[in-house]
Amino acid sequence: MKINIGNNKTAVFVAIPILIILILILYGVISNVVAIGSEPPQVLLERPDSKYDKCVRDTEYMRFHHWELLREIRENVVRYGKRGEEDINKCKECHTSRVNFCDQCHNAVSMSPDCFGCHNYP
Amino acid sequence: MDRRDFIKTTGGLILTVGSGTYAFRILSATGVSVSDTDNPLIGKKWGMVIDLTKCRPDCTDCLTACRTENNVSFHGDKRWDNHWIRKVKIEGEVGHTKVEKMVPLLCNHCDNPPCAQVCPVKATYKRDDGIVIVDHHRCIGCRYCMIACPYNARQFNFKNDEDWPNEERPKRSHGVAEACNLCAHRLDVGQMPACVEACQKCGANAILVGDLNDPVSEINRITSTLSVKRIREDLGTEPKVYYLGL
Amino acid sequence: MDLKFDSIEGDSTQYRLMMITFASFAIAGFIATWYVIEHGLWVTGMNNRVPWGLQIVMAVYYIGLSAGSLVISGLYGVFGKLEYKPFARIAVYLATLFLIAGLLSILTDQGRIDRVFVEPFVYFNLQSMFSINPILYIGHILICLLYLWALFYERKKLTSVVATLAFGWAFCVHTGTGAIFGFGARVLYESPLLPASFVAAAMASGTALMILMIVGLFRITKRRLDDELIIWLGRFLAICLLVVVYFMFVENAYRAYVVELRDAAMYYLFGGLHSLFFWVGLIVIGCFIPIFLLFYRKTGKTVRGIVIASALVVFGVLCERYVIVLPGLTHPPELFPGMEITESVLQEGIASYSLSFLEILQALGVFGVIGFLFGWGLKYLKLLPTEARILKHYETTEITSKEK
Ligand code: SF4
Repeated sequence: MKINIGNNKTAVFVAIPILIILILILYGVISNVVAIGSEPPQVLLERPDSKYDKCVRDTEYMRFHHWELLREIRENVVRYGKRGEEDINKCKECHTSRVNFCDQCHNAVSMSPDCFGCHNYP
Repeated sequence: MDRRDFIKTTGGLILTVGSGTYAFRILSATGVSVSDTDNPLIGKKWGMVIDLTKCRPDCTDCLTACRTENNVSFHGDKRWDNHWIRKVKIEGEVGHTKVEKMVPLLCNHCDNPPCAQVCPVKATYKRDDGIVIVDHHRCIGCRYCMIACPYNARQFNFKNDEDWPNEERPKRSHGVAEACNLCAHRLDVGQMPACVEACQKCGANAILVGDLNDPVSEINRITSTLSVKRIREDLGTEPKVYYLGL
Repeated sequence: MDLKFDSIEGDSTQYRLMMITFASFAIAGFIATWYVIEHGLWVTGMNNRVPWGLQIVMAVYYIGLSAGSLVISGLYGVFGKLEYKPFARIAVYLATLFLIAGLLSILTDQGRIDRVFVEPFVYFNLQSMFSINPILYIGHILICLLYLWALFYERKKLTSVVATLAFGWAFCVHTGTGAIFGFGARVLYESPLLPASFVAAAMASGTALMILMIVGLFRITKRRLDDELIIWLGRFLAICLLVVVYFMFVENAYRAYVVELRDAAMYYLFGGLHSLFFWVGLIVIGCFIPIFLLFYRKTGKTVRGIVIASALVVFGVLCERYVIVLPGLTHPPELFPGMEITESVLQEGIASYSLSFLEILQALGVFGVIGFLFGWGLKYLKLLPTEARILKHYETTEITSKEK
């Protein structure tokens, strides 16, 4: 089939944007691979003597799915007014400092969730 | 593989990867849903009565209380200040006498909220207990609600405010819209909104919040026996903030 | 007739200069947007009473231009006018670009740009015009791309099908965009006529811009262009303009006639700077002078007259978009009929809005992006025909028989 789309420069037209996107994607993939490969930081239990004897979920779940839990709590509170047992504010009881609790891992995997622009965590 | 095929294949690959990531973000963003029996809000309908005969014209306690409770941003410039509740002075002639009143204005928590109707992401919505509230986690800042609200009750966070008077409660980042939420966080745990408490404390006792669906509540007695007025009832938005003596 | 399409060489100094200008616009706009995201929207001219500003005006304007360009390509695609085939490709390409520009304008205007790509699609709100419109816009872009593909590969059947689809879709897009305002609660927005007048103005501005583009491109690249083609487009433009004036008249007459809207109408027509835009920009420069130029025999039959008229229309419709968006916002909603608000902590009454430098930079940035893409397309895609001329009768029959 004879193609009437452009001259031989067309390839440049198509290739440059594709290259840019490719580089961006590659950058993301590589930086993630590097981050996953390294040793995960340990979350410190800063006040083991507080009134709760265990976390709301087990460590494995919290490590990989805590954002799902947080989102669920969030939807329940904001949309349905269910301010129940599980409350983000209660995390503070055991994990008193944000630097050691949230920021540590987020920094290691270079995530920057914007929770703390609006919510206070000491 | 010649150049065209190469371009085609890589393009296809990138498209798949890109749309895959995007689809993942979209799918993982869907929220939880709660069944009706599980929902503590169903059955209630919060409303407010403001008694202008009791309200003192020069008192601004409710405004301050609201600002501190909800960390409403304030910069000292009329153009970008936010006011969930504000007091305006209205003047006009009724018959041949001049009247002058101070009226507190806030979001009316309309029963047919135009602001919720136009929100493209359902960030503004009517809770099942009738409170119109903004989910700031979801708001994209298109400001369509501000245009749709016929009461000028909505404001936009144009600018970050560094002050954080009540650290228990969140602030808002710049770029989201907001309005009075009737202190839903306090109503949920059985307390009265901050403005109501402030009004009681200063002794005027002009604001009352209650359940309009409850036949024996004080607010129902007032709205059904006394002559109450709402702002611009002709618009059909069915506001739930009633004024005595407007 | 053998119609050949070609790209331009693109190695002249002017071309390079043009591309550099566009690129620097785009970069300036990017920096401005970055600054706005960092500091919040207060650095633009918007405020709590006037939450929409220049970017929305530009978005609406671009979307209008997009439809108008599609109309020109529809002359070949839908109505089968073979003389207009040379312009089909460039028209569709421009339509795509303008829609992208409209989307970019809306995008750079949002408070939380990071959420724009996910939330509106997940939490789709069928009742909201702002939710329906992105679907229409994205559909429009996709249809345009398909259309372009069909034109490039010379698929006759596909072209006519897609062209018709695109034509209808463009009407929906415009009605939807008009409905954002027309179905709103503000006194000066609320009008069922707005979507219709919107479509009319879109056709006028799009046609005018295409005339400018075609004449400019053909003259600069020294291609043959028969005057009759442009003159016919000029006549089409004149009719569109008449429709625009008609809608404007009906809308404002209605507002001035109905008692409760009279105040608003007076504000709209004689209430400040926007009235100047309305009377001078839209009515005189945008409508009356071009209509005169187009209908007056001496200028209406020359390419120069038509080009001047088109330039005026392009400017006039920009003013029209401005007076659609802004007076409706600065005009206060009436909270207490019969009473007046004299004191408040918020701006009550007539609000003020002034353009800020950053907004202008953002708008220029969007313009730069599409300008750059346009130049790029000219160089790397076969958009321009080698010539555009009136067909003799036997040529038309020849082509039609060949296609069968
Ligand atoms: S008063 Fe305005 S913001 Fe409040 S619910 Fe009604 S329309 Fe929405």
